[in-house]
Amino acid sequence: MISFENVGMRYDMGGEILRDINFTLDRGSFHFLVGPSGAGKTSLLKLLYLAFRPSRGLVNYFGHDLSNIERSGLPRLRRRIGVVFQDFRLLEHLSAFDNVALPLRIQGAQKKQIAEHVEELLAWVGLQDRMHARPATLSGGEKQRVAIARAIINKPDLLVADEPTGNVDPDMAERLMHLFVELNKIGTTTVVATHDENLVKTVGAPILQLSKGELSHIKARPDKHTTPYGQKAPSYKRTKGEQS
Amino acid sequence: MLKRPLNFLSADKQSDALLPWVISVMLFLSALALSFALGVNRGLDSWSKGLTSTLTIQVVHSDTIERNRQAEATIKMVRATPGVTSANIMADQYVVSLLSPWLGNMPIGSGLPLPSLIDVTLDDSGDFNLDSLKSRLNVAAPDAALDDHQAWMRQILDLAGILEVLLIAIVVMITLCTITIVIFGCRAGLAAHQDTIEIMHLMGAEDTTIASAFDRRYLQHGLKGGAFGVCIASVVLYGVAYMAARMGQGLLNAALPDLNTVWWVLLLPILSGLLAMITARITIRRALTDMV
Ligand SMILES: Nc1ncnc2c1ncn2[C@@H]1O[C@H](COP(=O)(O)OP(=O)(O)OP(=O)(O)O)[C@@H](O)[C@H]1O
Ligand SMILES: [Mg+2]
Repeated sequence: MISFENVGMRYDMGGEILRDINFTLDRGSFHFLVGPSGAGKTSLLKLLYLAFRPSRGLVNYFGHDLSNIERSGLPRLRRRIGVVFQDFRLLEHLSAFDNVALPLRIQGAQKKQIAEHVEELLAWVGLQDRMHARPATLSGGEKQRVAIARAIINKPDLLVADEPTGNVDPDMAERLMHLFVELNKIGTTTVVATHDENLVKTVGAPILQLSKGELSHIKARPDKHTTPYGQKAPSYKRTKGEQS
Repeated sequence: MLKRPLNFLSADKQSDALLPWVISVMLFLSALALSFALGVNRGLDSWSKGLTSTLTIQVVHSDTIERNRQAEATIKMVRATPGVTSANIMADQYVVSLLSPWLGNMPIGSGLPLPSLIDVTLDDSGDFNLDSLKSRLNVAAPDAALDDHQAWMRQILDLAGILEVLLIAIVVMITLCTITIVIFGCRAGLAAHQDTIEIMHLMGAEDTTIASAFDRRYLQHGLKGGAFGVCIASVVLYGVAYMAARMGQGLLNAALPDLNTVWWVLLLPILSGLLAMITARITIRRALTDMV
């Protein structure tokens, strides 16, 4: 579904942050992205969620060569991607509810449908009582859960999460990871950047390892896609509305 | 996709909070300038009508015979002047009645020397040349005096014309200023909301979705600012017009705003709203295409 071939990336005039990146994300796959701080994980994810274009190399995106896609074609692709930013990037003046509702509103969803989905998802991440709080009044972990809810609210084809469990306790981390796994089961291709060794172990998905801008692959463990927790993720069905 | 715009901008973090105030000052000034420009224009019309149609020449001489001779010569010459429709001497009777406020009623032929007054009517062709008539009259009838308050009026008229152009230029400059201020306001707004805009882009928002939130905001700024400025301007204009009405008919009065014609200033807020919105739309859309 997404493949990178000899991709390099640099910020402005600086040196290459990423060099010769090669990998393929199959539809419905689940990958961890690991590596020491400063290795370039966030930078690679920026390429994945189309905040940047690579400075060299080939990127194939949902069957399109990225270099052939004009700026006006990006919004359509971006709507198929959910992003959990490392620093959350919630809109401070909007309530948790409105933040989570934003991707649906951008797509022009119905008001009633928005309310239903957002409330269900916020309840699922344990924020049913903080629905109308502004981000400034939320704890780090609560903000993170809002950010995750915003990223997955429209059941994206690709979910990109940058340290999505950095600010929550281990229980919540597992619960959130379970949400990702459930989402992955209904077909969302998922990439999660993390430092959390335990998390990587429990899910047992293949690992992309970055060090100093170069990528190496680590094979998946045998117990791939196990869901050790009995909880059910939100039961929404995938709506293939305007996807092509 | 014609829908209610998605409002994702914060209302509190107002980088452009001063904009409505600036717009209201601008609108106040342009409403005043415009209505005075219209007033002057109206004044020009009514004054120039009075100016071009008639002219008075008086011949003053203590010797009645010489006076009549010069009056005859004047009439003859004036009638032959291009741009003149008619030239007639006023009856002594009429002249006496004109003088009666100063001299009281007195019989004609009381020995008091009367001036001969010649009433000249001009046509609208503009062929009439006051200066050339004056110099020729000097030779033919040295004691004839052209009542030249008309010449003075012409200067006033020229001045009023310049004033009108100046007022309109001021309105144009204020408009350009307002546009510039809106552009700067937009840029400040874009900078303040940069992060929000980037996130909107990354979530797949189209430029038009983002821009229309700004459009709406600047339309509001323009309407609000415009309405306030025009309210103040209306109060001032109605005040001036009221005072002018109390002063009665007069030269000055003709150039002042008229109660019946200042209603149109109420349309100005709509114009300023549209102006702000269109300016913002162009500025924002341009800036957005440079973003991620
Ligand atoms: N906007 C930027 N402009 C220039 N250089 C940048 C920018 N963002 C990151 N870098 C540099 O790129 C390198 C990789 O950064 P990146 O954020 O991708 O690391 P990371 O693996 O996500 O680290 P962490 O685990 O701490 O989040 C770093 O050396 C960083 O200094
Ligand atoms: Mg990072």
